[in-house]
Amino acid sequence: MITAGIDIGHQTANAVLLEEGRVLGHETRVVSGAVEAAARMILDRLIESSGVLPSDIERIFATGVGRENVGFVQGHPTGMLCHVRGAHHLFPEARTVIDVGAEGSRILLCDERGNLVNFVMNDKCASGAGVFLETVAEMMGITLSEMGPLSLDSSGSVVLTTTCAVFAESEIVAEIHRGSPRQDILWGVHDSIAIKIVQTSNRTVLEREIVLTGGVARNIGVVKAMEKQLGYALLVPERPEIVGALGAALLAAEGKEYHDQTSTD
Amino acid sequence: MITCGIDVGSLSAEAVIFVDGKLEAYSLIRTGYDSAQTALDALRVALEKTEVRQEDIEYTVATGYGRVIVPFADRNITEISCHAKGAHFFHPEVRTILDMGGQDCKAIRCDDKGKVTKFLMNDKCAAGTGRSMEVMAGLLEVRLEDIGPLSLAWDGDKIKISNTCVIFAKSEVLSLIREGVPVNAILAGLCEGVAERVRTLLRRVGVEKEFGISGGISKNIGVVRRVEEKIGFEAHIAFEPQIVGAVGAAIFAAELLAKKGPRVRT
Repeated sequence: MITAGIDIGHQTANAVLLEEGRVLGHETRVVSGAVEAAARMILDRLIESSGVLPSDIERIFATGVGRENVGFVQGHPTGMLCHVRGAHHLFPEARTVIDVGAEGSRILLCDERGNLVNFVMNDKCASGAGVFLETVAEMMGITLSEMGPLSLDSSGSVVLTTTCAVFAESEIVAEIHRGSPRQDILWGVHDSIAIKIVQTSNRTVLEREIVLTGGVARNIGVVKAMEKQLGYALLVPERPEIVGALGAALLAAEGKEYHDQTSTD
Repeated sequence: MITCGIDVGSLSAEAVIFVDGKLEAYSLIRTGYDSAQTALDALRVALEKTEVRQEDIEYTVATGYGRVIVPFADRNITEISCHAKGAHFFHPEVRTILDMGGQDCKAIRCDDKGKVTKFLMNDKCAAGTGRSMEVMAGLLEVRLEDIGPLSLAWDGDKIKISNTCVIFAKSEVLSLIREGVPVNAILAGLCEGVAERVRTLLRRVGVEKEFGISGGISKNIGVVRRVEEKIGFEAHIAFEPQIVGAVGAAIFAAELLAKKGPRVRT
C-alpha cells in the first residue's frame, strides 16, 4: 500500500510518499497563502518527482498548521502525533522528540510504540526558533545553510548576554562592529537558541533517546550547542524537516481515522 | 560638594552634575557601541553646560546597563537603587516607581527616604520595552515621539495584539496593515498591550501611593495614560524622566563622599 503525508508548516510544506514503511520520495517547498493550495502543490510536485501515479496512492493524511482546511485528504492527525510517529519510525529507541520549527519549539514524549504520552510547547517566544536564525543570517549576509558549518570553527569567545532575539540584534551588531569573527558570533547565537529550547524542556522530564526534528535541526551548530547544553548526544534524522510528513504517511497506512481533531497543534 | 552620576543604558546614556545637592547640569545622548566612550561623551556634553570642570568632580557613581565599564567611576550602584533614589529626589512622596528603559521594565517600591524595599524586573524579553517601541515605530513609519499622541487619537474599535513576542507581533502588525487597519488603531493596541504587561508587573510588587514613572517610556503619553487608568493613580513624572537614574547616582555619590571624605589623587 502506498500512502502520502503532507505537513504544512509556518514557512515550508513537506510531503512524503511511503510504501510498506519505506520512503519512496519526499518534497520540501517554501509556501505562503492558502493551506489547501499549498498542500495540493506539494503533493503534485511529489507525484511528479517520484514517478508514482496518483491512483496508486491509497490514502493521504495532512498535518500541520491549518490542516483541517485541506479537503482532499482522508485524515488530519495533529502535528504532534505525526512528529512522534515519524521520529519513532526512524529511531525506535526514541522516547523524546524535540521539534524546532520556524516559529516555535515543542518537546514531545512518547512510549516504546511511538504513541504521544506528553508534550510541552513554546510558541510564544521567537528566540528558540528558526525565525531568530533567519534574522541573524540576514544581518550577517550569509545563507541559513552556511550558518551551522561556519559556527563549528568557533573558539566560543562570543557569549550573548541575552536569549531574546530582539535584544541579541544589538549585541550582534556590536560584535560585528568590534570585529569579532563570524564563526564566534554564530556560535554565540546557536548557544542562545539552544539555551532557550532547553529551558522549555525544563518544564518536563526528558527521556533518552532524544530526537531533534524540524527545519532548525538542519543547523549542525544548533545541534552541537544543544548537545552541549543537555550533556549528551542527540539523534538527528538525515532530513529532519520531513519527519512530520513521514509520520502522517505512516498513520495513513495504519488505518485509523483522524478527523476534526482539535488541539493546540 | 560636586558629584557626578552616570547612567549608561542600552539605548540612551545620561550624565548629571550635582553641586551642593542641586542639579547643576545634565546630558542625554544615544548609547554607542562602546560603553566607556559613551560615558565619556555623556560627561563631556553635561560639562559643556556648566562652569564645573571634570577635575572639580569629587566623586562619581555609575549605573545602568553598561555601568561596569565606566572607567572614571568611583563606584557602581545598581540601577534599581539609583532609580528609586532619583525618583525620590524629584517627588519625595513617591513610594512606587515604574521605570521602563530601552531593554527592561522595572517595578520598584521604596520608603520615604528613597530606599528600595521591593522590586521586580523584566530584562529577559523585549516585549513592552523601549526597543519594542522603536521596532514598531520603524514598521509603522511613525516617529517614536508620535506614538503616544497618535494612539490616543484613536477612539474606534479596539484592536488587540495577541502576540506578546515582538517578533511575532511584527508579523501580526504587518497583517493588520495589509488588512487596512488604521495606524492609530494599531498603535492604540500596542500601547494597550504594553500597559497591560506593566499592570501585571506592578500588581505583583504592589502599588502604594504616590506613583511615579521614569525612563524613556514616560514620554509616551499613550502608555502613561493607559497605565494610570489601569492602576487608578496619576503618575508623577520628572521634567526629564530619562535622567532619574543618573540623578540617583549623583546623590549616592554625595552620600558616599560625605561618609568617606574626598578621594585622594595619586
